[in-house]
Amino acid sequence: MAHAVDHDPRVTLVTLDADPLDPAAVLAAVGARAAGGNVLFVGTVRDVTGDVATTRLEYEAHAPLARAELARLCGEAADRFDLVAVAVSHRLGVVEPGDASVAVAASAAHRREAFAAAEWLMERIKATVPIWKCDHAPDGGRSWVHGQASAERGP
Amino acid sequence: MPLPHVPPTAGSLDVALFAGMAEAAGRRRVTLAWSGGTVADLRRRLAAACPEIAPLLERSAVARGDRYATDGEPIAAGDDVALIPPVSGG
Repeated sequence: MAHAVDHDPRVTLVTLDADPLDPAAVLAAVGARAAGGNVLFVGTVRDVTGDVATTRLEYEAHAPLARAELARLCGEAADRFDLVAVAVSHRLGVVEPGDASVAVAASAAHRREAFAAAEWLMERIKATVPIWKCDHAPDGGRSWVHGQASAERGP
Repeated sequence: MPLPHVPPTAGSLDVALFAGMAEAAGRRRVTLAWSGGTVADLRRRLAAACPEIAPLLERSAVARGDRYATDGEPIAAGDDVALIPPVSGG
């Protein structure tokens, strides 16, 4: 489901749902005549981390807060990096290895800002947006990932 | 939330749990009798009412509606409140 982002015209797409993720649509959402650099980052599910195998990931979110935070972070990225447009899609539900779980796209007059914005946005998404992954192992085991403390998080 | 829940009544607070916290508690909501207080008060009440979530609670943020809430912020009965344990999106 596309989230209406009517408060900031530079934030052109924010989605958080269980539909297969379409990176091309995320990139297309930031296309503009004023842009000279367009960067797309696609995060995909790994089948192994270190020596631990993953059969699939399952994502859950506090959806209203997560959509609001994604939109807010996109707006902040647009301000910080002087973007023409910015877009993000994140998956919910089960995502298989090799499939995309997240995509961010940024466009700017020049490539440097677009690259920097995509990196910054991914860092912030992973640090503050209320989305969680559950790791499913080959032996049937499952574990929610709650790695880093969230002490500095605030409004 | 996918599970049905009873609309909050006056004097109660319905707190949503997610991910490993919901799993630790064995439920997706905790309902407290609530006549008012701050986010910090809520943390203390939850730790006492639901000790199995206490370890994650210490590392969690509190959300009200679609915003994160600070510890000094007042919470009223019937507010839409959720615990946000350390996130792992991406």
